[in-house]
Amino acid sequence: MSQKKIRIAAVSFLNARPITYGLERSLDAANDDRFELSFDLPSRCAERLAAGEVDLGLVPTAAYAASAEDLRIVPGIAIAGLGEVRTVLLVGEVPWTEMNEIALDGASRSSAMLLQLLCRERGLAPRFREVPHAEVLDAVRGTIGALVIGDAGFSAATRFPHVQDLGAAWHETTGLPFVYAVWAGRPDVVDGDAVARLRASLDDGLGARPLIARAWSEAHGGDPALYESYLTRSIRYRLGAEELSGMAAFFARAHGAGLIPRATRPRLYASDASPSIRPPTPVGARGSAKSVDALLSDAAAGGRLSPEDAMRVYREAPALELGAAADQRRQMLHPDGVVTYIIDRNVNYTNVCVTRCKFCNFYRPPTNKTDGYVLTRDELTRKFQETVDLGGVQILLQGGLNPNLPLTWYEDLFRWMKASFPLAIHGLSPEEVRYIAEIESMSIRAVVERLIAAGLDSIPGGGAEILDDEIRHAISPLKCTTDTWLEVMRQAHALGLRTTATMVFGFGEEPRHIVGHLDKLRELQDQTAGFTAFICWPFQAEGTRLKLHDDTTAMRYLRIFALSRLYLDNFPGLQVSWPTMGPEVGQVGLRFGGNDFGSAMIEENVVSQAGAVFKLSAEDIERYIRAAGFQPRRRNMRYERLAAA
Amino acid sequence: MTAKITLAGIRDKARGGEPLSLEDGVALYQHPNLLEVGALANEVRERLHGDRTFFNRNLHINATNVCEASCKFCSFARLQPGDPGAYTMSLDEAWGKLRARVDSADPITEIHIVNGLHPGLPFDYYTDLLAGLKRIQPSIHLKAFTAVEIFYFARKFELSIEEVLQKLRAAGLDSLPGGGAEIFAPRVRKKICDDKCTADEWLEVHRVAHRIGLRSNCTMLYGHIESVEERVDHMLRLRALQDETGGFQTFIPLAFHPDGNALMKLPGPTGVEDLRTYAVARLLLHNIPHIKAYWIMLGVKTAQTALWFGADDLDGTVQEEKIYHMAGAETPQVMRPAEIVRIIVNAGRTPVERDTLYNVLAEGAALTSDKPFRRDVRRLEVVS
Repeated sequence: MSQKKIRIAAVSFLNARPITYGLERSLDAANDDRFELSFDLPSRCAERLAAGEVDLGLVPTAAYAASAEDLRIVPGIAIAGLGEVRTVLLVGEVPWTEMNEIALDGASRSSAMLLQLLCRERGLAPRFREVPHAEVLDAVRGTIGALVIGDAGFSAATRFPHVQDLGAAWHETTGLPFVYAVWAGRPDVVDGDAVARLRASLDDGLGARPLIARAWSEAHGGDPALYESYLTRSIRYRLGAEELSGMAAFFARAHGAGLIPRATRPRLYASDASPSIRPPTPVGARGSAKSVDALLSDAAAGGRLSPEDAMRVYREAPALELGAAADQRRQMLHPDGVVTYIIDRNVNYTNVCVTRCKFCNFYRPPTNKTDGYVLTRDELTRKFQETVDLGGVQILLQGGLNPNLPLTWYEDLFRWMKASFPLAIHGLSPEEVRYIAEIESMSIRAVVERLIAAGLDSIPGGGAEILDDEIRHAISPLKCTTDTWLEVMRQAHALGLRTTATMVFGFGEEPRHIVGHLDKLRELQDQTAGFTAFICWPFQAEGTRLKLHDDTTAMRYLRIFALSRLYLDNFPGLQVSWPTMGPEVGQVGLRFGGNDFGSAMIEENVVSQAGAVFKLSAEDIERYIRAAGFQPRRRNMRYERLAAA
Repeated sequence: MTAKITLAGIRDKARGGEPLSLEDGVALYQHPNLLEVGALANEVRERLHGDRTFFNRNLHINATNVCEASCKFCSFARLQPGDPGAYTMSLDEAWGKLRARVDSADPITEIHIVNGLHPGLPFDYYTDLLAGLKRIQPSIHLKAFTAVEIFYFARKFELSIEEVLQKLRAAGLDSLPGGGAEIFAPRVRKKICDDKCTADEWLEVHRVAHRIGLRSNCTMLYGHIESVEERVDHMLRLRALQDETGGFQTFIPLAFHPDGNALMKLPGPTGVEDLRTYAVARLLLHNIPHIKAYWIMLGVKTAQTALWFGADDLDGTVQEEKIYHMAGAETPQVMRPAEIVRIIVNAGRTPVERDTLYNVLAEGAALTSDKPFRRDVRRLEVVS
């Protein structure tokens, strides 16, 4: 990496001030040799980036989507909002549904596309006309509405009888945050050091929000308290897991509506820097002197647990107090009381596997010529069509490490699936990806890139077992190491794939192994925000070569689950595992920190040999969710909420 | 004017030993935070029993499923002898169940006997059944015949309730199980078990039993058509009788199982509702010493969890349970004592083996001489 200055175009709106706050101060101090900073309107930032006038721009997400192949996003930083944002408003003299023309603010890209998308999804077809940023409010007249963005929104909100906050409209539709702008640039211009500098700049800015609000009020008029609440409540500056989901959902919907030419996904610059979302390590983190009660209430309020404190909590906290703290944390993360679930099908494309894990009763070694199988296209067609017919949206596609299946086999399979069925492919756990890389003598990154190009949508977090090589060696000596598992996930996240993470306990591991596992996931999530959800379950010994010596009872599951909710403070979702624990305990898990009921699990109907059935019907799942005091909603892998079928 | 009911107010009452009201019980059912209600129930449970969690070694005998009653929630009964699936054990067959266990490696301390209301069996069948079992193992505790059966015997054999109980006791009866209570509210009884004895008759059988010195248990069948108020009312009626006699040992909430009966369109209660009912029961029934999580019906996992929601008893090893399994229970039909002990220890509780009257037979380390599980990955054992 050359030490050439990175030319940056940032946005001049109030909501972007915290992002550049630290940079501006170091530039003012004239001791910065890395960055050259200029300000513009969002749409201009994108144009200047595209023209090569700058290296990095704070660009509208829609502009990123337009040239995503050539751009990377700085991880951890965004201008986003969950619900009402107050500065992206559709205003008019008549309600939205009665507008036959809408003036679009010329400074806007993402908001304009969001409005067009929301119109289409509501069956509305007004004319759109772009007008300059400064003139947009003058366009409002009769059935002509206007999209207002930026600081003009503060005054516009009270000037018109009909005001629709588009952030709120997006949230109502998807349950996700909307990402308005991100730092984006060409792949080679930003290194880990620059990412760290940008994150540090935001950290400074987040701390300086009261100052920024006051300075803005002095320069532009208006109430500093209003500005401060806008900067602290309306805008979210973290590109976390939910924001990545929101972005991906926006791109997918916009592509579906024909607003962007290609389905695209947010791809990130690599970062191993300590990110802005990580709060400073608490004093005395190595075994704090706090009581377990105090640790629980801190963690319930969103505080970060150190590994040592987590082990104390796990060992000492009474079961219901641990559960109540996790429940409180879940409530804070998902305040609308919604519990999601998905309709998908688990398809195991082959049982041939070279790994011989002792805990597995599924695999057949390649030498076994009688029971080993690879599903044929006919069998797959039946399974996939049944899934579509039953309202399924996804296939969880996993299999053994089969030495006879080259990368092209997977590519062909994915292309055919995508061409034939409206199903997302949640497929190939890290172990399978690593194995394909091994037999093809390719890098993990190259394999993942090819799989994405063929249609892979996301990666399931299986095979993590316990991310500790001492345990892994004892139970599955031939399986990938902890580092390899994490590396596959890191690469996948960087390429814009979302993944889940899992943990299987009950192998005789100690609390330090459990907490160590969670810590590794939390650390990677700090860097990539690519994990959507965490799922854990106890080892199921039946039929395997391992004798069960460990505690795999419901109480241990609930304790570990609740601890995970508290420890994984950067994971939006915690999914209960009803297939292993039973629906009753799965449901109780919703009160120990869970916000997702997993899948209805379409299965072969072994009784009638005809068709497929749900292991638990959607109706049953919704009944369990409601009886636990929540509202059920279907979702897809992005945790984007779907309309009920 | 009544003050607004809060959990804090209920907590104060529970801590002060003050009986909770009907409104308190309803409020506990409706409180949005399950774990707070559970924690309060757990507080009471720990005050009464600490970590101790009881179980026994027992055997179930359901000598006949022929039954004159046609309760809508029942998957067990057959109305006529000779109906498909109808059976009646010969005395020798029933005795054989105990004979197989006497002097075995797997002895028992209690037999739980519950049957259909068979129109054709003579009273001698029941007295002979008890006497024969006592001959085989004189120390065995016979917990037999629900209040519904006792009431049926009294009417059919033209005896008073007390006479029935005295004759059975002379033959070997030691205590009464708590079944047949269902839900006391007449509205519900009319709909689901119209030809069963009334609430007052059920309570009268237990009143008489307590008076002549027999202990008994009590139950509630929940999760079908009853309202929350009707559940609370049911528990309060049990509490009132307990205030009068002190004869109940244990309350056992029974979750309705929907398979194979006339109410199979109903879904049955879910885990969260089960735990809530256990917690409410522990808080309302301050004068009944024990709350039993009957694992056969709850499932082992939920039963274990209930040990933190007010329950202090897991019932017993049980064998050949038929009534719930015919209603679709997927639980095993037997748990070995070591398994029960392991579940209790893994819940962070202390196992106590009891007899039917809660005399302690073994406790804690005496039951856990085998470490319930190892924490050493180097010693992972491969089976084959």
